[in-house]
Amino acid sequence: MPKYSIIYDKDLCLGCEACEIACKQEHNLPVGPRWIHVVPRGPEEVDGKLILTFKNIRCMHCGKPPCIDACPEGAISKRADGIVLIDPELCTGCKACIEACPFGAPQFNPENNLVEMCTLCVHRVEKGLKPACVSACVGGALKFGDINELTEELAKKRAKAVVPW
Amino acid sequence: MGKKESRAESSEEKVIRTVCKDCHVACGVLVHVKDGKIAKVEGDPEHPLNQGIMCPKGLAIKQLVYHPDRIIYPMKRAGERGEGKWQRISWDEALDTIATKLKEIIDKYGPYAILGSVGGKPSKNMRAWYVVINSLGSPNVGWTDAPYCFGPFPIAAVYTYGAFISWEMGSDVKNTNCVVIWGGHPASSHPTWARMFMQAKARGAKTIVVDPRFTSMASKADLWLQLRPGTDAALALGILNVIINEELYDKEFVDKWCIGFEELKERVQEYPPEKVAEITWIAKDDIIKAARWYGKIKPACLYGRAAPEMLSNSVQSLRALACLRAITGNIDVKGGNVFDCFPPGFIGHVYLWFPEQRMPLEVEEARIGAKEYPLLAGPKSPLGTPHTPGVIDTIFTDKPYPIKAWFISNDVQLCIPGSRKVYEALKRVEFLVVAEFFKTSTAEMADILLPAATWIESDDIESCYTNLIACRQRAIEPVGECWDEMKMMFEILKRMGVKYRSFPVETMEETYDIRLKGLGMTFEDLKKKHIIEIPMEYKKYEKTGFRTPTGKVELYSQTFKDFGYDPLPHYVEPAYSPISTPELAKDYPIILISGSRKVGYMHSMGRGIPWLRELAPEPEIEIHPDTASELGIKQGDWVWIEVAGGPGGRVKNKAKLTRGIHPKVVQCASHWWFPEKPGPDHGQWEVNINALVPMEGRDPIAGTPPLTGLLCKIYKTEED
Repeated sequence: MPKYSIIYDKDLCLGCEACEIACKQEHNLPVGPRWIHVVPRGPEEVDGKLILTFKNIRCMHCGKPPCIDACPEGAISKRADGIVLIDPELCTGCKACIEACPFGAPQFNPENNLVEMCTLCVHRVEKGLKPACVSACVGGALKFGDINELTEELAKKRAKAVVPW
Repeated sequence: MGKKESRAESSEEKVIRTVCKDCHVACGVLVHVKDGKIAKVEGDPEHPLNQGIMCPKGLAIKQLVYHPDRIIYPMKRAGERGEGKWQRISWDEALDTIATKLKEIIDKYGPYAILGSVGGKPSKNMRAWYVVINSLGSPNVGWTDAPYCFGPFPIAAVYTYGAFISWEMGSDVKNTNCVVIWGGHPASSHPTWARMFMQAKARGAKTIVVDPRFTSMASKADLWLQLRPGTDAALALGILNVIINEELYDKEFVDKWCIGFEELKERVQEYPPEKVAEITWIAKDDIIKAARWYGKIKPACLYGRAAPEMLSNSVQSLRALACLRAITGNIDVKGGNVFDCFPPGFIGHVYLWFPEQRMPLEVEEARIGAKEYPLLAGPKSPLGTPHTPGVIDTIFTDKPYPIKAWFISNDVQLCIPGSRKVYEALKRVEFLVVAEFFKTSTAEMADILLPAATWIESDDIESCYTNLIACRQRAIEPVGECWDEMKMMFEILKRMGVKYRSFPVETMEETYDIRLKGLGMTFEDLKKKHIIEIPMEYKKYEKTGFRTPTGKVELYSQTFKDFGYDPLPHYVEPAYSPISTPELAKDYPIILISGSRKVGYMHSMGRGIPWLRELAPEPEIEIHPDTASELGIKQGDWVWIEVAGGPGGRVKNKAKLTRGIHPKVVQCASHWWFPEKPGPDHGQWEVNINALVPMEGRDPIAGTPPLTGLLCKIYKTEED
């Protein structure tokens, strides 16, 4: 079975924030929680040259998610296909997962007082569609698929940039 | 059929294919509709331009359409002008009041007293206003931004090679091997074009970005030219100098199709790269590198956008860019800048080439600005649009004739330089009608407020790029009592007993078929096809010549000479700069640019849309950290800005420290207001930089008041 994930290629990100609004619309989110968040890094000067990249903050659907261990309610689980989900029926909004997550992915929703995060658009994925952020991505920086294939592809691209073959 | 069945049917989700008009591009959209309401929108994967992507503006349309503050029925003023007291009225009352008042004004002052303003708000039906104002016999309807946005460009383009081929209307980024983005940041303004830039880059095209700011696109480019604001013409002439002197130009094309090459060659000798480096602050080697790339790589595409239009030397700057495209043989070739391929007789939605706008000669000559700026406002101008600062003056002076009724479809207070004067003009004019989505500070001043439909609630024919014709079909019925502005106009004409000047039709719907006649189809046919791709044809000039007086590319323009302008492009130092106004620069030592785009906002739109506001909650001024530290300004401080040469006063922005701007330059947010703050001004006087810009130092041809490349001083506010 494939393990699904989204991978982000910073070389292709234009910082346009389309992913953020696509996500807000898809999940009908209020102001506040940002399941995917684009944050500029720089411009910074490196060896006299300016560099501007963006960080893309979202649930990484980790291999070993620390949020699962942190949740006292057992509300978070990782499915066989790799998708990490918070069960809104079990979540109490205690925010332990927010503290545990190294990426700042889980988001407190002030409208229902629960913690929510990227579901990898599981409702779309199950219909054979890509997550909403990936579909809207202007630069083609966000890619959805099997994590093994995605990482291999990115690793090859990065290696090629250093050692062309 | 039982009740249960029909309910089940109504709750089913439908997907309607249409076209987004939250900016000028016209991307394909799929609208999911449930129970007659928008469930969501997404990019149309089959659309040739956006290929399934969609940007924040369009993605947030649901929050605009169903916004609790939206104007959804006609209203009339119930207190003093701008007091914010309104009374709901019927459409009949609104239209009857307008018709009666217009008749009164025309009887007393003549038709020229009627003024219409449209602007860069493609989500509304801007062409509608031409229908009524021109049909009533007034030439005073137009694009209020024309002197500084989409006015100078068409003048330069039409008088060089006969048509406009920049922006989204001719830049063939898709097929190019070298792309120059000049004075724009499509990743924020028109993301579909940013995507094409990235695709071109991935294909191996060389990429050049000309921008005083280090944008995300500049960061992706092979070469970033950080020019001193306002020196665009010098840079273009420097690049021309290298291309001509190193003989990198297309000799065959120049010999066969260009007039005035020798004169241009002589002119560019005044701009050697060393001198241009000094003027523009760009390293000489980078100027030469850019010139060699653009000159040698074929095909090359120059995507110039609005920044050079906002200068005190706007038209000649754009003439220099036009000459650059021409002598390198990049006009109307695949991967260059291409003339549109729309069939004759087809009337699309490419801005302001409507037959409606052209009037009989004596009426054209009476348009405000026609004498002072004939190529912007006179019979020979490509746009035929009034000169906006002149219009505002006329409202106060009644010269050459009084303006008494004003129809507004855009946010003139926020978007026109000299906002305070515009505000006074709105107070002064006798009768003011505004069609809007929200109570903007302009709408707050209206006598009659009309609820306008958005692109998703109305039909139209959209022409985009050079060869795409799409059906924009309404996905939902308009909210409340909102109407397409075109429908409003036909209803007004009907009540006044006046016929539509351009075509023998009486309803909005009939105009669609007329506009499609050149294609030999009806609107119903277009609906079925949704989108038509006209086959691309290149080098059309070989058959028809260029649409200039000589039929050739006019590097040297006799028309310009006849009007008393320089027939060749040249550089003029910005009206306000450390060099042209050294005395002023002592008190105002920093160069000010404004107007860079945030992706969620189109001009003054978007500040009330929660999802979009979250992306950019406050107006920011970009300051280099070294400059900020000298001035004691820290990240997040509120900073006052004062501008040299303007009407005075100050506005504030929040400090954003960034190395992406030159230490001697700051970039201030524009078009800012706070919909949540009380009207009529909605806090704009605190933050609206357009209230501070000078109205003098104008471009002699387009009458452009300098909007960017100004001088300012900044200092920390007293508050925490």
